[in-house]
Amino acid sequence: MTTYQFFTTAWTWNSIVLILSALAFVGYFLAFGQRGRPLYFAAAITVILLALISPFSALANGYLFSAHMVQHILLVLIIPALFLLSLPRSFSLRPPFTYLTHPLIGWIAGVGAMWLWHAPTLCNAAATSATVSAIQTTSLLVMGSVFWWQVLAPREEQRLSPPAGIVYLFTACTACSVLGIILTFAPVSICPVYQHPVDRLGILSTIRGGWGVTSDRDQQIGGLLMWVPMCLIYATAILAQLARWHSCPAPHTEKSNA
Amino acid sequence: MNGTTTIAEFRAAILDPAKRAHYRLAWLSTVDHKRIGVLYMLTALVFFIIGGVEALFIRLQLAVPNNDFLHPDTFNKLFTLHGTTMIFLVAMPALFGFVNYVLPLQVGARDMAFPRLNAFGYWCQPFGGILLHFSILAGGAPAVGWFSYAPLSETPYSSTPGIDYWAVALFVLGLGTISFAINTIATVISCRGPGMTMRRLPLFTWMNFINSFLILIALPVLNAGLAMILIDRQLDGHFFLPFRGGSAVLWQHIFWAFGHPEVYIVVLPAFGMVSEIIPVFSRKPIFGYEFVAASTVAIVVLSSLVWGHHMFTVGMGRPMDLFFIITSMLIAIPTGVKVLNWSATMFGGRIRFDVPMLFCIAFLVQFTLAGLTGVSHASAALDWQTKNSYFLVAHFHFVFVGAIVFAMLGALPYWFPKMSGRMMSESLGRWTFWLWVIGFNMTFIIQHVLGLYGMPRRIFTYPDIPGWGWMNMLSTIGVFFMGAGSLVLLWNIAHSFFRGRVAGDNPWNAWTLEWATTSPPPHENFVALPPIHSRRPLWDVANPDRPDPVVGDDQVVLPDHNKTGILAFIFSEVGFFGTLILAYLYFYAHPQAGPGPKGLDVPRTLIFSVCLFASSFTFWRSEVALTKQRRGSMLGWLGLTIALGGIFLVGQVNEYWKLFQTGVDLSTNMFSTSFFTLTGFHGLHVLIGLIVLLIFLWAAWEGDSVSSKFDSAFKAAGYYWHFVDVVWVFVLLTVYILPLMR
Repeated sequence: MTTYQFFTTAWTWNSIVLILSALAFVGYFLAFGQRGRPLYFAAAITVILLALISPFSALANGYLFSAHMVQHILLVLIIPALFLLSLPRSFSLRPPFTYLTHPLIGWIAGVGAMWLWHAPTLCNAAATSATVSAIQTTSLLVMGSVFWWQVLAPREEQRLSPPAGIVYLFTACTACSVLGIILTFAPVSICPVYQHPVDRLGILSTIRGGWGVTSDRDQQIGGLLMWVPMCLIYATAILAQLARWHSCPAPHTEKSNA
Repeated sequence: MNGTTTIAEFRAAILDPAKRAHYRLAWLSTVDHKRIGVLYMLTALVFFIIGGVEALFIRLQLAVPNNDFLHPDTFNKLFTLHGTTMIFLVAMPALFGFVNYVLPLQVGARDMAFPRLNAFGYWCQPFGGILLHFSILAGGAPAVGWFSYAPLSETPYSSTPGIDYWAVALFVLGLGTISFAINTIATVISCRGPGMTMRRLPLFTWMNFINSFLILIALPVLNAGLAMILIDRQLDGHFFLPFRGGSAVLWQHIFWAFGHPEVYIVVLPAFGMVSEIIPVFSRKPIFGYEFVAASTVAIVVLSSLVWGHHMFTVGMGRPMDLFFIITSMLIAIPTGVKVLNWSATMFGGRIRFDVPMLFCIAFLVQFTLAGLTGVSHASAALDWQTKNSYFLVAHFHFVFVGAIVFAMLGALPYWFPKMSGRMMSESLGRWTFWLWVIGFNMTFIIQHVLGLYGMPRRIFTYPDIPGWGWMNMLSTIGVFFMGAGSLVLLWNIAHSFFRGRVAGDNPWNAWTLEWATTSPPPHENFVALPPIHSRRPLWDVANPDRPDPVVGDDQVVLPDHNKTGILAFIFSEVGFFGTLILAYLYFYAHPQAGPGPKGLDVPRTLIFSVCLFASSFTFWRSEVALTKQRRGSMLGWLGLTIALGGIFLVGQVNEYWKLFQTGVDLSTNMFSTSFFTLTGFHGLHVLIGLIVLLIFLWAAWEGDSVSSKFDSAFKAAGYYWHFVDVVWVFVLLTVYILPLMR
């Protein structure tokens, strides 16, 4: 199969994902109507489809560790962020879920989503079993949302203060970079499934020969993706925190001048 | 300790202010940030002369082809010493001197948060410098370049003690630098004056505050690397010896993970200086304060992600190259933002071309050129061609001299009036400026061309290739201009100090707080602070009818400085242990024959670990007892903590002993080298923690535990003790638990 054929045919029309996405869309409009920010929500759904339906998903599904890493980053960092941004300003969590809004829980969820699913056994299982993969996808979305809540919660008072937010993001960035560094330099395969993929689509020779992505190089790219671009996402969020900090109004100006 | 000595007597003996004020001890024993700042700068000046003379010899040797003025080995020693001296003993102490003097004044503080730590940090500088240069007398200076690449720096290839002195000197300097960064962070967070909120900090202060975090990220990585190379050389380890299973490339990763941020560590304070001087001499507030401030943070984050561009020629593989190319190009954006902001500040301003401003303008031009050649190195393909040529030499001298030295030469006449009470001579300053501009550009512009013509770095001489001779000669002539400029500068400093025009409080009509006090400031810095509601408090005082817009809230939150300081210290330790743990993992993933982690006695270690973890609990109980002022209970829990920590150490000594018994020592294989290093450094930290806790036990025993000062210090010690336990969690997981999961 050539590269062109692959990208035109390898769409996985996963009916569960499609139905759930459609339901989510309907649910979103029923729940929030005009109060929300539907553009963000549409973006979130688009990225979900990109991650789970497009040929990327086929590659992540047993072929390329690096493609899996792209999927992982989209599911933990991009989609939950877009989702939180789409919520109306008035939104707040009900009591059973409020315990998720502790910064420590958020931090552990964000960093844990990276480390936990890269334990070799879990990583292998997720790449081979559809059930484990579904659990993984769901858990990544949830953990990502819990992580971003500290920074992107709908209401200002639910978020960390900008300086605390910077510390939160920076430490999370460091913790994930360390994993990226380990993956990049690891001489053994972290996720052995990807070393000798079962060639379901007949694309393996194109990947190894045409694209030049050997299994060693594949894991290195995966590690680097976690190390560098992911850190840039955190860095962008840190800059956003600084922008937020500097744009805080001066509430007591008259009083302090008097 | 003599049983009859009490805490009070002990304090009286060493901390008598009257004794310290005596002229013979006044400067040696000073803990005043202003005096320490001056000491830093004077030290840097001395080493600047030494490093400059070294540079002069290098250029004399290279002036003509086939020169035999210097022995090749002498040449290698000279460029190693020149590089090391200029970075660690000139640029850093000089910049830290300015920060030490100016930063507490700018935030309206009486002194740095930890004056004695400040003195410690300073004294590390001259002693580190002496250690480095003592190697010349002790059998040979290091001759391996300032990066000290392995395996050349290992005993089989460099048998003289030069590298050992180099490593110990840099370790000492690193400790000084880290303590300085901790102090800066604690000063900014915990010692600001009323109204000086974090959003109103002057840019010089802000950049050095952010820069201190970069120091705490980068320097500990170097210190870990230095410890490893010393272990290799002194204890027969093999971290960086390929033929014993070590990795020479690992040293490069460690060195450049420090080395690239280091560039920003010395350039950010220079950026800060320029950000102060340009607005004052353009008579305009800085254009886009928020952008200049935020781009500093972006630089700090990005600069930790780009070190690989120093290693394109190593052969890291295409994926690695690609990622480092992208990040290296990205870092040009926040730096470019700054250059645009400085230019926009000058645009439309009433520019006064005094000497500080002249240097800043030259800085802008030269730094932009340095940035352009810098970003060209981000392209790996070009980098392969120019990396080991004079093109690179020209590039980094444009950064270090064209930007950093020029910024400092501008900052000196700017702040000299504050420090001495007298103005520096304007005409002599212009002489220095023109001699430096001509000399610097003559020396280094041509080196770009030489590099593109193919002249390699680190060669002691070259054949008579057409064009090389005259270009090198031109380059050498430029050095004499810079030398002459420096002599004028020295004369200017000396002359102005005694004969200069009296400056007054605020000779430049500047707007930050250091100009709100006398020149030089009194010991306690300020009699009274002006009201602070904006980023230019003195503008508001001078122009009450049109003050700057109020920035944010007036409320200043000042956390306890002991807590801030110890957390900053812990932050730095994370980098140190992180490097050691990653190095351990690297060698764990490349197993060798001989002893391995499978041979460790895990159950016994777990039992001793429980003791260590329990000691965190007992310390917490001791803290609670202290809060409730139950002295007996506090002493009891603290004693128990020390006992548990002691038991853990005994367990570790026992483990080492058993390994020695079976013939396993540090030099056996890579596992033993990295195992003993990692656990040994942790043990050392436990030992230091125990000593600290014993001091507290002694002090509490003597009845010193009632003050709030004791409370806050005790809590800080607690943070350290808990941190040591947390490190052990990670060591336990990587060294003992991980092999069980295979």
